[in-house]
Amino acid sequence: MYVKMAPPADLNRNTEWFTYPGVWTTYILILFFSWLIVLSITNCTPGMAWTIVNLGHFAVTYHFFHWKKGTPFGDDQGMYNRLTWWEQIDNGKQLTRNRKFLTVVPLVLYLIASHTTDYQHPMLFLNTVAVLILVIAKFPNMHKVRIFGINGDQ
Amino acid sequence: MDTLLAAFENMVKSASDWMRLTLDAPSTRAVVFGVPIGGHLFLEGLLFVVILFLLSQKSYKPPKRPLTKKEIDELCDEWVPESLIPSIADEMNYEPPVLESAAGPHTMINGKDVVNFTSANYLGLLGNEKLLDSCTKSLEKYGVGSCGPRGFYGTIDVHLDCEAKIAKFLGTSDSILYSYGLSTMFSIIPAFCKKGDIVVVDEGVHWGIQNGLHLSRSTIVYFKHNDMESLQSTLEKITQDNKRAKKLRRYIIVEAVYQNSGQIAPLDEIIKLKEKYRYRVILDESNSFGVLGSSGRGLTEHCNVPIEKVDIITAAMGHALATEGGFCTGSARVIDHQRLSSSGYVFSASLPPYLASAAITAIDILEENPDLITTLKKNIAFIHKGLLDVQNLQILSDPQSPVVFLGLKKSTGSLKGDLQVLEDIADRVLKEHSIFVSTSKRSTLDKCKLPVGIRLSVSAAHTESDLMKACESFKNVTAEKFSAQ
Repeated sequence: MYVKMAPPADLNRNTEWFTYPGVWTTYILILFFSWLIVLSITNCTPGMAWTIVNLGHFAVTYHFFHWKKGTPFGDDQGMYNRLTWWEQIDNGKQLTRNRKFLTVVPLVLYLIASHTTDYQHPMLFLNTVAVLILVIAKFPNMHKVRIFGINGDQ
Repeated sequence: MDTLLAAFENMVKSASDWMRLTLDAPSTRAVVFGVPIGGHLFLEGLLFVVILFLLSQKSYKPPKRPLTKKEIDELCDEWVPESLIPSIADEMNYEPPVLESAAGPHTMINGKDVVNFTSANYLGLLGNEKLLDSCTKSLEKYGVGSCGPRGFYGTIDVHLDCEAKIAKFLGTSDSILYSYGLSTMFSIIPAFCKKGDIVVVDEGVHWGIQNGLHLSRSTIVYFKHNDMESLQSTLEKITQDNKRAKKLRRYIIVEAVYQNSGQIAPLDEIIKLKEKYRYRVILDESNSFGVLGSSGRGLTEHCNVPIEKVDIITAAMGHALATEGGFCTGSARVIDHQRLSSSGYVFSASLPPYLASAAITAIDILEENPDLITTLKKNIAFIHKGLLDVQNLQILSDPQSPVVFLGLKKSTGSLKGDLQVLEDIADRVLKEHSIFVSTSKRSTLDKCKLPVGIRLSVSAAHTESDLMKACESFKNVTAEKFSAQ
């Protein structure tokens, strides 16, 4: 007689929004439109615009996914204070669909950016550094690991 | 520096040259969508394979490695439990005097009639006929209350009447009642100050405020006790150092009359600073409501500051009003916010109705008899004058404060030593002269660092002979004690 309800996939308000439908599409569209915007406001080649988008994507995601810890909400009583956003998503489960998606995005961006700049120095170098940092930070083995104490606890 | 930079550039260049060389290895030039493709196909293929490999992986939860038996044993051996209570020192083995009658201006201790200076019964309303009468009537009508919180069957008409009465008396738009005086402050502070907010506090605030600050998880900055220059430099420093400070909620928390020192906060200067640096002020009027100002409206009246300038005013009703509980008053928005977000209001049982009706009656009495305040002021001035030339003791409190605070002129060097001397004096004053005073003995949780002292709460109900006797007994006891050394 009772209605059986599946528990919500994610109880953390900070990461719950990433389970909503349409997030992936929005993410890709944001990247594409930011490319269009960069292309239209700066007078540069498409390859250069992809490089700028890739580096911008690196800066934003590195800061919000891998640097800033905790949540902006007070009601979780500081449970996530030591975890970055990347470590919080899907309750720390590794290689989930969302995680794979977020790992593939910088790789594809890198491919597009390097390909369209024809593997020229210095864009190739910058793109490679960005993708390496983002992908290494997303390895399952790097979960809760702070190499060289970078972004460690005080 | 330049050579370093050049070396780095060289390194990057050679690395990328090498990379291009390796990538160009198959060197099958093709043109796709207008972009000539070199040997990058190799790298692109490789990355594509990596992506496919990644997508084919199964997801898993990182396993929690259970501890081995040896590790568990080691952890158990290393663990030294911290004691639940601090170890009991000699000075804690102290038998407090036991009161055998109500704590009015005179009380019975060990069958002896003593003059009581320990109750904050500033207007002498404790045991007042009218108050007792209103309590009895209320008790007969409502019983002792519903034991439910205000939002859950706990509200009774006298609560609303009392809130309206306080707001009308102080000239604010609304007020809210709390069930316990001390908890008023520590539920209001977390209701308004949240994580990340900046709270500037006097270092001498009482434990209720300290606890509120702890619960609020805000950024707390202390300034020197009742020192307006220190407050200004603190505010200046925060505004300069923290670029984001303008976007945060900022509060100044002060007490009107400090329970820990008897000092009166200069509200007019605080308001000027608050307006200059754009802060909100939370003011605790527990020891000044019904005492300061010509009609007992508290510090705002005393300093001639319009009450709207102070954002949040709180007070305990257990002091001058001689009932129990507390209230907060301010603008309607400030009060409405508390009705759903202040833990002390939402989650604890409402104030017993007879205490609320006693508070209404007490404010009525205060309004009808302005001479109560004149008597109290006269008494404060009298005892102040009488205690001026006590050997080795000095008055640290403000001449107009109802809390008279006596500190040692020559400190023994430690708070513990000072407290010992003061307790000895208080003990002898009680035993030899039947004057009951208390020292500012602080709990181990209290982080206040102000000097300790003897605290006398002057009441309008003390007669001149009571006050004279108190002054004389202090002079006698200190003369005997300090000349013997």
